Amino acid sequence: MDTRSRILSRIRQALRERPRALLPEHPHPALSQDPLELFLKRLAENGAEGHLLDEEGVRRLLANLAQGLAGAAYGKGVPAAFRLLPELPPEEAPLGVSRALFAVAETGTVALSSEDGRKAQLLPPVHLVLVGEEKVYPSLLEAFLDLKSLPSALGLHSGPSKSADIGQVMVKGVHGPGRLVVAVLQGTW
Amino acid sequence: MGVKAKLYPKEAARLLREKPGVREAVTGATLHFEQGRKKAYGEIDAEAWRERAKRVKDHLLSHLDHYLELAEKRLREKGVQVHWAEGPEEAHRILREVVARHGVKRAVKAKSMLTEELGVNPLLESLGVEVYETDLGEYLIQLLGEPPSHIVGPAIHLALSEIQRLFHGRFGTPLDASPEALAAVARKVLREAFLTAELGISGANFLVAETGTLALMENEGNIRLSTSLPRVHVAFVGIEKLLPRLADLALFLPLTARAATGQRLSTYVSLIQGPSREEEEGPKEVHVVLVDHGRTTLLHDPEAWEVLRCLRCGACLNACPVYRQTGGHPYGYVYSGPIGAVLDPGLLGLEDTYPLPYASTLCGACYEACPVKIPIPKLLLTWRNRAVERGLAPTWEKGAIKAFSQVMQSPSLYRLFSKALRGLPLPQDLLPLLKAWTEGRGPLKPSPKPFHELWQELEE
Ligand code: SF4
Repeated sequence: MDTRSRILSRIRQALRERPRALLPEHPHPALSQDPLELFLKRLAENGAEGHLLDEEGVRRLLANLAQGLAGAAYGKGVPAAFRLLPELPPEEAPLGVSRALFAVAETGTVALSSEDGRKAQLLPPVHLVLVGEEKVYPSLLEAFLDLKSLPSALGLHSGPSKSADIGQVMVKGVHGPGRLVVAVLQGTW
Repeated sequence: MGVKAKLYPKEAARLLREKPGVREAVTGATLHFEQGRKKAYGEIDAEAWRERAKRVKDHLLSHLDHYLELAEKRLREKGVQVHWAEGPEEAHRILREVVARHGVKRAVKAKSMLTEELGVNPLLESLGVEVYETDLGEYLIQLLGEPPSHIVGPAIHLALSEIQRLFHGRFGTPLDASPEALAAVARKVLREAFLTAELGISGANFLVAETGTLALMENEGNIRLSTSLPRVHVAFVGIEKLLPRLADLALFLPLTARAATGQRLSTYVSLIQGPSREEEEGPKEVHVVLVDHGRTTLLHDPEAWEVLRCLRCGACLNACPVYRQTGGHPYGYVYSGPIGAVLDPGLLGLEDTYPLPYASTLCGACYEACPVKIPIPKLLLTWRNRAVERGLAPTWEKGAIKAFSQVMQSPSLYRLFSKALRGLPLPQDLLPLLKAWTEGRGPLKPSPKPFHELWQELEE
């Protein structure tokens, strides 16, 4: 017998006399406060910066972030209108710009798809994420229940990279970006 | 497997003698985690969340064969190569093949307790592969050649000064370098490793059967990098780590984060569905190794199986007054603290581990903290009873445990006994279990007030 069959048959044997436990239904997601407001609040609590902006506002924010920078790394979904800086490889870029698949208010989270690219989300020290306001879900449960298909990898980011492993002192930007800025775009996008 | 759990009190006394800073470091870190958990539990209906999580896990475990087959099917559909391993031997064979086929010279590793169980690092080193632990804490203890001291914070036992000395010797940083400066040095070394490694190795917090999704939680970003940059990713997953549905993650990710570190969600969660697709960045090959290593034996155990619900959040360690004194090393195996004391006998057999269930005061704090309501104190007594029955523990324990558990189950008896005990002198040699602990210390003195009264005052 191969390993797989051996393990499975031991499990079946073990379960023969075990009562079968029922799987609880998912709770009805409770409607919380205004998700956009909560999202921005949670981002701040997570040590990230959140802004609710129109297209012009995003361009101003970008111009601000871009000051003194040689270029940026872009996710595939970032529209040309927001590519103000020359494109650099993520290994060298001081700024990464990506577009989130969705966001979650209750946890202050942006969900980033591998289809957008992974390196721009992880390697530069500063990460700007663009997300449409209609993509902000109140809760993680609602987001998961609504997901139609999954990319090869989905990264949920809820703040800057951090660690307290050295003497219990919180250090930011350990491996990933030390600064996370989220721009929520008003209107359809 | 040749692991022998040590006699905790003896090892604890030795550790505290040799490394006086450990108690302070561990107590500080665990109290910090514990306060975080209490605050985070306070924000939610913790009782309802824990009960739900327990029920989902019980369902999963009572249909484990079904969900394992479903997960395997889904993973294969997405192009993941699925393997099964009884234990270290088979896990090593699978890894050796991957290393040989891809000519792996360098591997980056995301912290994983299962790979500690399996001895993955020594294997890779014996194959001439350079292995980098990439979680900062795990990297520190790798440099020191030590095992992890805590499931979640492997290096919580290290004082800043020790790390400063370590980096001074290794990288020539000043002896008073700040944590930021030390982290920057580690970041540089590890960034280079991420960009050049051919292989990324991880564990998994969860494996969702319905979608074949691997879920990994962390705060640093090293797991996202380890599973994104190298062209091959191998994930080792204990067969108990499954969840039925994707939406179950909406409960388990935040609950685990709240229990472990007091966060609403860990900073990074990676949800991995397989190798990268056409024109995408990411590994071209993903392997999932489903590992038993004692779990089916536990599933067979009518009393001890509940430990399989464990999410490895470390909350019971942080809540444990015994663990807080020393950290994990005196327990002598990768899983320490309350969970170690009830998991290790199940995984390794009682002969090698019988002292571990005694490293507890049975105060019950571990149960209160546990997000999946594992009755750790009850399981500690189960293992102690078995140790006595098999003649592994001193026989006087038998009566003592019985009496003790009766007393513990009745608040009025408990109060009566603790009052009576406080009136008595405590001759050191009447407490044989404490002997190793009390050697080299002043005599034990009973507290003038019972613990529950002190506790109430503290709470107020
Ligand atoms: S036993 Fe419970 S508290 Fe302890 S590590 Fe496991 S899940 Fe966490």
